[in-house]
Amino acid sequence: MFRRSNIAARIFQRQIYTPAPGTSVHCARRFYENLVPSCTIFDVECPDQSFCKFTDDGQYLICFSRNQQDLIVYRPTWLSFSCKGEDCDAFDLPPKAKRFESFFTQLYSVSLASSNALICKDFFLYMEGNHYGIFATSTAPIHEPPAAGGAIQGIPYIEKITFHLIRLEDGLVLDEKILLNDFVNLTHNMGVFLYDDLLAIVSLHNQTIHILQIRDSGNLVNVRTIGEFCHEDDELFLNSNAQCLAFPDKSKLHRLPGNNVQNGLQHSQPNLEDSFLTGIKQRLLSFIFQGIWNEEKDHTLRVQCLKKKFYYHFRDYAELIIWRVQFLDRHHLLIKFGSVDGGVLRNADHHPAFFAVYNMETTDIIAFYQNSPEELYLLFEQFCDHFHAASRNSLSMNFVSSHSNNIHALEKLRCVKNKASSSSQGMRTSLICGSFGHMSVALSHNLISHHLRTSAVCEENAGLFFALQLSVTESFSLF
Amino acid sequence: MGSMLGDWPSFDPHNFSQLRPSDPSSPSRMTPTTYHPTHSRTLPPPDQVITTEAKNILLRHIYQRTEEKDLRPKRAATENLIPEHGCKQPRASPY
Repeated sequence: MFRRSNIAARIFQRQIYTPAPGTSVHCARRFYENLVPSCTIFDVECPDQSFCKFTDDGQYLICFSRNQQDLIVYRPTWLSFSCKGEDCDAFDLPPKAKRFESFFTQLYSVSLASSNALICKDFFLYMEGNHYGIFATSTAPIHEPPAAGGAIQGIPYIEKITFHLIRLEDGLVLDEKILLNDFVNLTHNMGVFLYDDLLAIVSLHNQTIHILQIRDSGNLVNVRTIGEFCHEDDELFLNSNAQCLAFPDKSKLHRLPGNNVQNGLQHSQPNLEDSFLTGIKQRLLSFIFQGIWNEEKDHTLRVQCLKKKFYYHFRDYAELIIWRVQFLDRHHLLIKFGSVDGGVLRNADHHPAFFAVYNMETTDIIAFYQNSPEELYLLFEQFCDHFHAASRNSLSMNFVSSHSNNIHALEKLRCVKNKASSSSQGMRTSLICGSFGHMSVALSHNLISHHLRTSAVCEENAGLFFALQLSVTESFSLF
Repeated sequence: MGSMLGDWPSFDPHNFSQLRPSDPSSPSRMTPTTYHPTHSRTLPPPDQVITTEAKNILLRHIYQRTEEKDLRPKRAATENLIPEHGCKQPRASPY
């Protein structure tokens, strides 16, 4: 149906015509085609603060004080003035238009960080439903941590990280979560993922995923901790069995190698950290093993396959560390594994990455993608919307075009992919193309888009892999 | 105005003046059509409940792929056997 673009006609139509169910937000947004920014005001004197960002719904402007210890929140009130007369365009804006206070009203200033801690300026999560904001304060990172048992070498550690849950309407600090002697990648929310009311925090040092729930009452509740143990009662089970290991049955003594017997008698509990892999690692290795085992029916072939694909790479698999985590739904996590080097780097695309889908309820690994971008790329091409979990409840998200729900966007993506694949000559190339530029703040970043860029994976006869990365950025317009 | 629109306002009073309402005394010949099914093959089972699948399609896809991979060795064994029914075809892997 022909849609009129005249604003008066549109307003009239809005009066008499009910939009299709669920599209009222979209209809309201169409008015931005008529109301466009037509004026820029320069040299506005702003308070001496660092401006962080607007919340997704535009209700608050988040700022931090210069000393990075206070949170200051403004309400955008926006300027309004009217002119009476025929030639309104000739009117200049009133002098109050040049003032910061005409546009924003300060709601409050809250001190978050104590004397030796600073607010992390790049970290902010917003819960649209309750108007809750999550901020992080931390002490200075120490780059040469003491080699504590189980801790990862090469990753800095922070003495104290505090996550603050704040009600943005009035600045009330509702709850806090403190992590000591740990490291969470707070830059651009990389180490944390918010899904509805669930928060996943990746502790790189302890290789643990903390799952917290943000209750409506404003409490941060620990739901589960995944890492060393997967089920809630794993620790109890292992500890109770460790007691038995410490005192082996005398009749079985001859079966144990000499040093184990000695250890068993000298220590009351065997050193679990040395003998056991963490729970999540166990699950991952078992899944890989089962996958290779099920591929072949013939026993000899099976063993050969295992030797080649599993045991040869066992050390590499065992040394994988959790980099990042994302929710796929309330029970499933997408975990990105990699080597120690890439853990803290933002641009870790040069390092091989492994993705696993983990079911938190059954503690099973469902799928594992071993740096094979084709399969993962196909998933991302078809189900891109399901990787963007953060703004699921936002009304406007129903109308965001992505290459999974829009054939034109998909066509464009495939064009870029084909162009890039035809550009390399003389080598057999399999191209994995994902050009995902900066999406708006309404979509939180996700693991896959950071991992996939336009790249050409070239396989020479000697079986060497090397990747050329061409970064192609695309901008998606949402409005 | 004796039209079926009664006293409703109109821009032009001559609009709809040609319209003759149907004679209320004669019974209407038009009865709304009703569909009567000729068979009961398509009746839903009496205890059927239709609900939305809780799992999203991405996870459903991942689980399906996992199940396919698990079934693969079993299917490999039956490939050489003569299928019992001619209409059954081995399912091609989508990838």
